[in-house]
Amino acid sequence: MNGLSCRLRYRLAHFDLDLDLQVGSGLTVLLGPNGAGKSSLLRLLAGLNQPASGQVTLGERCLYSSDKKVDLPPEQRRIGMMFQDLALFPHLDVSGNIGFGLKMRRIHGGKRQQRVQLLLEKLDIAHLARRNVATLSGGERQKVALARTLATDPKLLLLDEPTAALDPAARGEIRRWLQTVLTRLDIPTIMVTHDAEEVAFFRKRVAVMEQGRIVQQGSFHQLLREPASEFVARFVGVNYILGAVRAEAGKLHFTSSGGSKFLAPFEQVRPGPAFLTVQPWDIALYRELPEGSPRNHLHGEIREVVIIGDRVRLTLSRKDKLVAEISSRGYQALGEPQPGEMFWAVFKAREARIENCGALPC
Amino acid sequence: MRRPRLFDLLLIGSGTLLGALILLPVLALLRAGWSSALLPLLGQPQVQQALWITALSSLLALPLIFLLGLPSAYGLSRCSGRLRRSLEILLELPMVMPPVVAGLALLLAFGRRGLLGEMLADVGIRLPFTLGAVVLALTFVITPLFVRRCVVLFDGIEQKLEEAALLLGATPLQCFWHVTLPVVRRGLFAEGVMALAQGVGLFGVIILFAGNLPGRTQTLSLAIYSAFEHDPQQAFGLAALLLLISLLLLATVHLLAPREGR
Repeated sequence: MNGLSCRLRYRLAHFDLDLDLQVGSGLTVLLGPNGAGKSSLLRLLAGLNQPASGQVTLGERCLYSSDKKVDLPPEQRRIGMMFQDLALFPHLDVSGNIGFGLKMRRIHGGKRQQRVQLLLEKLDIAHLARRNVATLSGGERQKVALARTLATDPKLLLLDEPTAALDPAARGEIRRWLQTVLTRLDIPTIMVTHDAEEVAFFRKRVAVMEQGRIVQQGSFHQLLREPASEFVARFVGVNYILGAVRAEAGKLHFTSSGGSKFLAPFEQVRPGPAFLTVQPWDIALYRELPEGSPRNHLHGEIREVVIIGDRVRLTLSRKDKLVAEISSRGYQALGEPQPGEMFWAVFKAREARIENCGALPC
Repeated sequence: MRRPRLFDLLLIGSGTLLGALILLPVLALLRAGWSSALLPLLGQPQVQQALWITALSSLLALPLIFLLGLPSAYGLSRCSGRLRRSLEILLELPMVMPPVVAGLALLLAFGRRGLLGEMLADVGIRLPFTLGAVVLALTFVITPLFVRRCVVLFDGIEQKLEEAALLLGATPLQCFWHVTLPVVRRGLFAEGVMALAQGVGLFGVIILFAGNLPGRTQTLSLAIYSAFEHDPQQAFGLAALLLLISLLLLATVHLLAPREGR
């Protein structure tokens, strides 16, 4: 077992970071809105900040434990971290930057040169070896920063928004490069992002963080199918309606906070605060409500029409809001609805999912 | 083009007056020094001795200033809040102390009958009226100024650089030596030269604590003072020489100082 296991409490400006996280070998994407505490978590793991209490273990090693009074300094944790702004040493060239960690570990001369050279070649940046870091492009800087981190053979890799500062063209290239490099690594890796595209690109395990807590952990597909909070739902583009489940005459109903009633399978759901999710492509639009329909329906005004390739996303709202995604042929068949027109959004009960809010911030 | 307004004229006027106030005495001194012929002056043994004492004391004080000042400045730049403010006030103390008062204070601390005087005498060290006293006086006056400016340098270092070094396995000392110091090296060189420039001009504190003994404690500033009593023309020449040295050091500071800050 070479995974990371942590349980941490830490006071942030507006809320407490309080989480329990297990990360195995390979890439885990840590997703969350800005200000959720993602970077703070990385700093706590790296030992740059000190938690109020908790425990961090990496493989067999205890890095921090408030109970056992263990708190290894950053230089002894063997954690590689790539900062968002990279923090390359301006007084050293590319080779000097990559060899820095080895020099600090007193690996001298030829042996150090050899390892730096090996890494330069492995990461396809041998041509940059003698360059001044100030003259590198954004993407090149990224590669050098990762090489410098990997040179010290870390047991856990932390990447803080590695592509956020790049322009769109370089971002695509670096993502592909990162994917190639990271899949070859056999250590737990946490990559922080607030970018939907990034998660979709890597399609790996995802942990979602909001307000200092991990609200969902699972595969990217799980996230798509069963978003556990409004942020996740909005993030993956799933409809999310907040409301409550009520029991009436032994039967359960979901009533949205806007007052609409919806039906769903109600598996393992208790009366109380709950939320409904439904995929945009499971929603059909009609100008008139179909007769005798047992389906869930919502009458509302088209607010927004977005054409994405051969799909069209329409936002319909009144007291509640729903996003429907239909084919462009279906869109034409409806007479190309425009904002301001009234429509019925309809979906089957079995296509909706209802869950209790539980401990999560709904 | 827009007509200059009254306020603009006020700014230009006061600037011009200040410029004249600075440049006029400098030019007058250089002119007087020129007429007293600098080169023959350099041939006089007493002038050579004064130059030697000035250079030697400054060069001896410089390592002390760095040794005491650098770690203190770094420590201070890593402090915050009330502790930092208290320490900064402590640093300002020698800066606001009039030089004559500083000389007397040093005498009372390290003099023969001073606080540490007897203890020093027991181990065979007698400071007042020696070159050691000149070095100590320079260190006492200049180190706080040096620390203040170095704190600004260290404050300007991106903290992430040091954190990155720690995460790559550097101990805090290695991080200081291999990252912090090299990153600010240009600024540190400039501060070193600045310390020299400030040292060559010290007068009050040296004359009281180290005395004015030609060949032992008489620096160039003290030699000017002595010369002014019996040969003003020579004093002007020596003053012009000191001014030239200071100008040279000032030019070096500006040549070395990091450009980013400007």
